Amino acid sequence: MHLSASRRTKVSVRILQSIVLIAWLIILGRIFQLQILDYEKYSPISKQNHLRQEFVNPARGLILDRNGEILVENEPIYSITINPASFDMSRLPLLSELLEMEQSDLLLRIEEAQSYSWHRTSRLVTEVSFQAFSNIQENIWQLPGIGHQIESKRYYPLPIHASHTFGYLREASRDEYLGTSRIRLGDKIGKSGLEMSYEDLLRGELGTEYIRVNALGQALGTYTEGEMSSRPVQGNNIITTLDAGLQQLAEELMSGKRGGVVAIDPGSGEILAIASSPQFNVERLAGRLDTEYWADINSDPEQPLFHRAISSRQPPGSTFKPFAGLVGLHLGIVTPSRTIHNPGYYFRGRRYGDLADPGDYDMRRALMYSSNTYFFALMDMVASRGYLNRWSDLIKDFGFGARTGIDLPSENSGIIPDSTWMNQNIGVRAWGTGDLINFGVGQGFISATPLQLAVAVSVIANGGFRVQPHLVRTVRSPDGDQVHTEKNLQRIEWIQESHLEVVRDGMKAAMTHGAVLYYASLDDIEVAGKTGTAQNPHGNNHGWFITYAPAEEPEIAIAVLVENGGFGSSSAAPIASLLTEKYLTGEINRSHILNHVLNFEPTVEEPEEGLEITE
Amino acid sequence: MRAHEFNWFLVFVWVALSATGLIAIYSATQGPVSEFLSPNIQNNFYSQVAWFTLAVVVMVFIQFTPPRSFHQIAYALYALCLLLGIATIFWGIEAGGARRWLPIGPVNIQISEFMKLASIMATATYLSHRRNLSSENLGTALMTTLLLFIPAFIIFLQNDTGTALILLAIIPIMLFWSGLPHGVSLLIISPAIITYLTVINWVSGLVAVLIITVAIFFLQKKAWLSVTSLVLGLLVLLGTKLMLQQVLYPHQRARVEAFVNPSLDPQGAGWNIIQATTAIGSGGFYGKGFMEGTQTQLRFLPEQWTDFIFCVIGEEFGFVGTVTILLLFLMLFMKLIGMAGEQKHSFAQLFTVSVAAILFFHFLFNIGSATGLIPVIGLPLPFVSYGGSSFISYSIMIAICLNLDYNKRSFSIYN
Repeated sequence: MHLSASRRTKVSVRILQSIVLIAWLIILGRIFQLQILDYEKYSPISKQNHLRQEFVNPARGLILDRNGEILVENEPIYSITINPASFDMSRLPLLSELLEMEQSDLLLRIEEAQSYSWHRTSRLVTEVSFQAFSNIQENIWQLPGIGHQIESKRYYPLPIHASHTFGYLREASRDEYLGTSRIRLGDKIGKSGLEMSYEDLLRGELGTEYIRVNALGQALGTYTEGEMSSRPVQGNNIITTLDAGLQQLAEELMSGKRGGVVAIDPGSGEILAIASSPQFNVERLAGRLDTEYWADINSDPEQPLFHRAISSRQPPGSTFKPFAGLVGLHLGIVTPSRTIHNPGYYFRGRRYGDLADPGDYDMRRALMYSSNTYFFALMDMVASRGYLNRWSDLIKDFGFGARTGIDLPSENSGIIPDSTWMNQNIGVRAWGTGDLINFGVGQGFISATPLQLAVAVSVIANGGFRVQPHLVRTVRSPDGDQVHTEKNLQRIEWIQESHLEVVRDGMKAAMTHGAVLYYASLDDIEVAGKTGTAQNPHGNNHGWFITYAPAEEPEIAIAVLVENGGFGSSSAAPIASLLTEKYLTGEINRSHILNHVLNFEPTVEEPEEGLEITE
Repeated sequence: MRAHEFNWFLVFVWVALSATGLIAIYSATQGPVSEFLSPNIQNNFYSQVAWFTLAVVVMVFIQFTPPRSFHQIAYALYALCLLLGIATIFWGIEAGGARRWLPIGPVNIQISEFMKLASIMATATYLSHRRNLSSENLGTALMTTLLLFIPAFIIFLQNDTGTALILLAIIPIMLFWSGLPHGVSLLIISPAIITYLTVINWVSGLVAVLIITVAIFFLQKKAWLSVTSLVLGLLVLLGTKLMLQQVLYPHQRARVEAFVNPSLDPQGAGWNIIQATTAIGSGGFYGKGFMEGTQTQLRFLPEQWTDFIFCVIGEEFGFVGTVTILLLFLMLFMKLIGMAGEQKHSFAQLFTVSVAAILFFHFLFNIGSATGLIPVIGLPLPFVSYGGSSFISYSIMIAICLNLDYNKRSFSIYN
């Protein structure tokens, strides 16, 4: 036993010594390779080496309007970078002095860079003054691990903010920069609007450059003719469907109000203008984070960050009637010529108010005078025949009740209830016809966004085609390749041309009397439209208006929502009308209407509308 | 005194390595580069001279200690180091992303360095108390693993992955020496080999799996062990691939793979490897001369007084310098392993072979990192790198080996 143990010990010694020898020989071989075989390769590198790597940031793609006018471009800013592994903490006071920043503040930023990576270069401070940038440049030899670079921030050359639609950039969050090697700590990425939707296209590719430097860190030129460097690739330019002039007007008209407006080309789904009010100042979010302003707009009860044109969900009120009418005709509940008597109210378990004059109404006349009784009766018949789910499906074909899929983030889908929705939200067997009658006039549980109404009114304007609303026409890569967005029109099969004619007639006739005649009709161009006033239990009613023009060959369709604006005819309709005028004639001749909109105060007196429900 | 029986050869190697270290540290911190360095780093050379002096005193003292006292104090020392190691996690000083230093009096002590010493002393003591020197007994093997795993885990929590790896690497060495069958020993270390080769190239990983399986079959002649090896090997290979491609963030993956191709992560870990290999490669046969290495003196090397000190020697003293260092280390390892074989008492055997293993793994990981053979693992080069705790700790290890060697006859009687 003892003998075999001592034999084993001898064998173990040999085995371990062999392992050591093998590993030693591998290392010797590697050193021989480096110092003898590859000496010719490394010697010149080290002679001129003194490599410093620098990042070359790509230029972010531009955003242009449909006519090639630049809406969003870049301007240079100066940044200071850090490589935590090489940074010498004892130089912190010097760094703080040169940058004119608190040491504690810098220390926090350094720690963040360390926690990202000890070996990668991160941004320490962005958008420093040119003076601070020069200070750092002069003293760079005393600051190991510190670097500097020129970057860019967004700049908006035209007086167009479209802050919700363009969106803002902010520094990538921890998850975002750890998730991909394309994004580094301190990189800004799109956080809302087009900047977010098209982040990957706008961004471009980071370049790396190796610079030879001498002992004092002074640059001597690029290294190995850029063999190890990679050029930055500029981001794609994005040509939007927006019309700069129309967009500017839309923003001016909406200022001081709360709401959203969407102007769309009904033949293609291209968004010509889209505005939400109140706006935030996108310029103030372009550079180094303005913490105070950021906190302000986040806590503002008016919610300026909220894109009302695509996200504000309100009952559409009477603007819903043309669509309810088309569905009623298709379901065979009414014919174009069938009349319904209006005694001044509608009665079904209780009185539903109607401000239109008593009398007999066919569909055209019901749209013209916005008679509630006609549409209450229509919805009553839908409900009592058990057609609710069919009705709901048909209404959704116009674009209601689901996201339209526009190329912007955080769109709201609105609500078009069906029996499942009612069961889930009201309760099984807890609802009845009485809860549905209001749907006929766009009230009750129904809600829609301005964008959805713009898409829906396009269907009436373009002869029954569902359009895909979109903001980007063309993406142009740096080498000039262009990718165009396809139109993607789809005929909604069930809509009959003869039914459309009736509704169009009604919408044209609606413009020929009352307040809209004053606010929203044009001298030489026939316009079709429909006002709406959505009941708001929390305050003033919301004003709606949908329109398209010219009535015969529509070139533009618009939906406007003025929250708490009172009647749609005086709040929303003039905005849409001025936009139509500007788009079709290139100018605005009705300065009194313009003044009315710019100095708008909500009124609740005009008895034109007929949506008041009295009990 | 029987002075001729004292192992002067080992003392010579120790002095030679320490002296080379002092020369390299002097160049790395006192040369023209000093203008880029903070005052406390400029002080490193003088501190190291002080540590060297202290080490000489401690080593002489240890020679007059009775050999049995080493395993008598082993468990107490082990417990003390564990406690201090845990204290370091909470109250240690943070630097370079790790929390390794515990301030004791005027100096900051890197407990993990002493943890290695205490751990091998405790493990060797434990194994030497087992009657038959065999780890085929599963309980003994598990206990051995645990004794080394606990300190490794504490050190891992200090964010000092390199030192933790060293302790884990000692486990198979201890078990192997205590009688674990050769095939099983090979099986234990096979995941490390397969992982390493898979990172470089998965085909070579697969070849390694097959070779190891065949080797284990011939060593043990047990089919089930070979099958286990094959399955384990394939799992490790797949796991490594999956880890690299699915689990790790791209920049982490780039860091791991940087040693294979530094240009994968030229902005990060690749940068250090490019600078380190350039420093060594440009040294050529004779080197650029003392304090004349541009990579060293223009501060292109990271941590050039500790983790990358081999690059300083390579750049300034060339192939001649690096081969000298390599030969000194080879003599050190061969001598230590040989000394272990000559010991009769199992504590002395295990302790000496563990010291050889610890020093060897440091040598392998440090120079492997500097030459781009393995991913960068931040570990000092024993006796050469700057660092008081590590220098004293390794010197104590050598001193104990010297003592055990000198007393090998009397100590064997005690057995």
